[in-house]
Amino acid sequence: MDRRQLIKSASAFAVAGAMLTLPGLAHAQSAADAAVEAAKKYSGETLNITWEAGLQALDPLNFSGPKWEELTGVKINVVEIPISELFTKTVAEHRAGTGAYDLLNVVPAWMPDLVTAGVLEPLDSYVDQFGYRDELQDIAPTYRDNQMTYGGKIYGLPDDGDVLILYYRTDLFGDDAHQSAFKDKYGYDLAPPADWDQFYDISQYFSEAMGPDGYGSALIHSPGLVHYLYLQRFRTDGGKLFDGDMNAQVNGEIGVGVLEDMVRQLDNMPKGAASWGPIEVLNAWLAGELAMQIWWPPPGRWSAGYGADVEALSWLPKSTIAGKVGYALPPGGYPELAAGFALSVAANSEKKELAYLFAQWLNSKDISIQRVTLPYALRDPFRTSHFESEEYKALWPAAGDYLQTLQEGAETGLLDMSIIDTFAYEESLTRAIVSALAGGNAKEALDQAAGEWNDLTEEIGVDDQRAAYEDWSSKPGAYPN
Amino acid sequence: MSAVAEAPTPPQPASPIAGFVDRNFRWLLVWPSILVLLLIGLFPVIYSLFVSFQKINRRVSDTSFQGFYNYERLVTDERFWDSVINTGIMTGIALPLELVLGLLLARLFLESFPGRQILIALIVTPSVIAPFVAGAMWRLMFENIFGPINEIIRWIVGGTFDLLWLINDNPLIVYSAILTTEVWQWTPFMFLILLAAWSNVDKSQLEAAEIDGASGWRVFRRIIFPAIRPVVFVALTIRGLDLVRLFDIVYALTRGGPGNMTETISIYAYIKGFERFDISMTAAFAFVVIVSLSILVMVVLRRVGVTQ
Repeated sequence: MDRRQLIKSASAFAVAGAMLTLPGLAHAQSAADAAVEAAKKYSGETLNITWEAGLQALDPLNFSGPKWEELTGVKINVVEIPISELFTKTVAEHRAGTGAYDLLNVVPAWMPDLVTAGVLEPLDSYVDQFGYRDELQDIAPTYRDNQMTYGGKIYGLPDDGDVLILYYRTDLFGDDAHQSAFKDKYGYDLAPPADWDQFYDISQYFSEAMGPDGYGSALIHSPGLVHYLYLQRFRTDGGKLFDGDMNAQVNGEIGVGVLEDMVRQLDNMPKGAASWGPIEVLNAWLAGELAMQIWWPPPGRWSAGYGADVEALSWLPKSTIAGKVGYALPPGGYPELAAGFALSVAANSEKKELAYLFAQWLNSKDISIQRVTLPYALRDPFRTSHFESEEYKALWPAAGDYLQTLQEGAETGLLDMSIIDTFAYEESLTRAIVSALAGGNAKEALDQAAGEWNDLTEEIGVDDQRAAYEDWSSKPGAYPN
Repeated sequence: MSAVAEAPTPPQPASPIAGFVDRNFRWLLVWPSILVLLLIGLFPVIYSLFVSFQKINRRVSDTSFQGFYNYERLVTDERFWDSVINTGIMTGIALPLELVLGLLLARLFLESFPGRQILIALIVTPSVIAPFVAGAMWRLMFENIFGPINEIIRWIVGGTFDLLWLINDNPLIVYSAILTTEVWQWTPFMFLILLAAWSNVDKSQLEAAEIDGASGWRVFRRIIFPAIRPVVFVALTIRGLDLVRLFDIVYALTRGGPGNMTETISIYAYIKGFERFDISMTAAFAFVVIVSLSILVMVVLRRVGVTQ
C-alpha cells in the first residue's frame, strides 16, 4: 500500500467512523437537549398549551414556559382551564376545528374517549424521530404502562405521578401511651392500617383520644373525586367492574359492602365530612385535627413546610405538623392513581412537531426533576430517577420515606377506570355514592347505578365497550396483581 | 274665485315599484329587524330540531335521519322525568313564595318614610349578584360547622345543632336550603316590579273605597289586584321561566345531589350536552322544553288576557 492509498484508506476509515459515531453522538445527547436543538428552527412562533388552572399552571407560567422561550425563542401561551372543564373544552375546540390548542394536558383516563373522538395525535413517530424511547423507560412502570398508550399507540407522555397515599401522624402513632391504650382496646399494635377494619378502629380510637377538636380521619368525598375511593376499595376487595357479558358488577356483594363501609367510616370523621373535598381535608390535616387522611402527594411536601415561604402557597394554612407526618399505602396496599396528567398533541394543531418537542423537553429526565421539585407546582414525582433523586431526598428530613412510599404506590397503583364514555359511568357511580353517604340505601343506589351502566353500555354498543374495557383491563394496573 | 280651494290630488307614483314602496313603506322599514330577530330567535330552535333527528355524540356524527330515536330515549329516561319533577317542585314552591313576599314588601314600601330609598336599594342587592355567586355564598352559609345558619339555630335552641343542609337524605332539608337561596335572591325582583305597579293604582278609587268603609283585603281583591294583574302575570311568567331554567344556584349548592334529588332540567341538560356530549339527545331535550314552555306561556298569557 503506497502513501496515497494509505491516506485514502485512512480517510475512508475516518469518514466511516465518523458516520458510525454521529448517530451515537446524537443519542448521547439528552432528550431535553435534542428537543431544544430541534425546536430552535421554530424560533419566534407561539405554542398554545392547555393546563389546569391555578397552582398547576404556575409551572409553565413561571418556570418551564420562560425557560423554553429562553432556550428556543418559542413563546408559550398557557390557556388555563379549570379541571372540571378541561375535557369539555378540549373536545369542544376539536369539534369546532379551531386548532386553538397545540399541546394538551390530558387526564390519562380520558384517553379512549379523546382518541376515538380523534382529538389526539399518535406520538410514536415523534418519539423515535427525536430519540425519546430510552428516557421513557425511566418513567415508573405504572404510569408508563398504564397512562401512555391506547390501542398500542402512544398518545401521551405521562407527566404527573398522581397517587392517593395515606398520611398519618407519627407523633400520635409513635406515642407510648397511645400504643398501649390502643393495644389494650383492640388487641393489636397501633400502626398504619393494613385494611379498612383497622382504619375504622384507629380512626375511632383517635376520635375519642383527641377530644372534641380532633378526629381519627377524614377522606375526600366530594362529587367528581369520591369515585376514586370507591373504585380503589372495590377492586382491592376483588371486585370486577363488568362480567363477561359486560353487565355492571358495582352493585354486587363486594360493591355494596364497600359502599356501606364507606358510610360506616363517617362515624369517626368530622360531621359534614360526607361532602368534604380536598381543601377541607387538607385544612383539617394541616391544622393538626386529623390522625390520618388519604390525599395526593402534595401534602407530603406541604405538611413538612416545604414551600411555606413561597407567595403562591400563601393561601395554604401554616402546617402545625411539620416533622410529625408518616407516609404509607392506603389500606389494602393498592392506591388509586387518581387522575394524573399526560402531555398530548392536539390532532388539529398546525404545530404538531413543535408541540411534541415542548412535551418531550418538559417530560425529559433533566427538566422534569426540576419541575417536580418546584415548591409551588403540583406535578408529582413520576420517574424512577425522581424517586431516587438525592436532591429531592434532601428537601426535608422525611423526604426519603415520602419518595419511597410514592415509588411503592407507583408499583402497585390502580389505574383509573378508562373506557368509552368514562365520564358517564363515573358520574352515575358518583351519584350513587353521594346518595348513600347522605343517608340513602347503598344497595338501592348501586342498583340504580348498575342499571344506568348497563343502559350506557347498550347505548355505546356492547362490543365496542367490551373492546375498550379489555384494552384497559389488560393493563397491569387495572386490577390488583 | 271660489271660496273653497280644491283639495290637492295626491302625487302619482312614477312607476309600479315606486307605488309598491309607497304602499308598503312601513313594512319595508321593519322587515330587516324582523328578519334579524327571526334568524337569531328561530334559527337555533330549527337547528335543534334538525339535530334532534340525527345521531351526533362524542363518538358518532351520523347526520342521517334517525326518526324519533332521541325523543324515545328522552321520554323513557327516568332521570329526565325526575328532573322535570324536581324543577316543578322548586317552581311550584318558589314562585308563589316570591309573589307573596314581593307583594308584602311592596305594600310595606308603598308609603314614603325616612330611609325608604336606601332600604329599597339594599333589598334589591341580592338580585344584582350573579346566581352562581349567590349559590356559592349560601353554600358557605349552610356549612354545618362554621356556617352562620347552624350557628344562629344553635344560639336560639342552645346545645349542639349540626344539621347537614346540603348532603342529607331528607329532601325537605335540602330543598329548604335551595329554596331559601332562590327566594332570597329573586323576591327583590318581584318586589320591585310589584311596587312600581302598585304605586300606579288609581288613588281616587282607593280613596272612594276607604270612604265606603271597604276592608283592606276587599280593597286589594277588588281594586288593587285587578289593576296590577297584568304586571303580576308578566312578573310570574318571567320568574316562572327563570325557575324552569334554574341552574346556577342549585349547581353551586348541591350539583343536583345528593344522588339526583335536586337535579333540575337545566342541570341534566348540561350534563347530557356538555359532559357527555350527547348532542342530538340534548337537542331533543331542548326542543321539548322550548315547545312545552312556549305553549304554557301562550296559554297563561291568553287566559289572563295579557295578550288582548
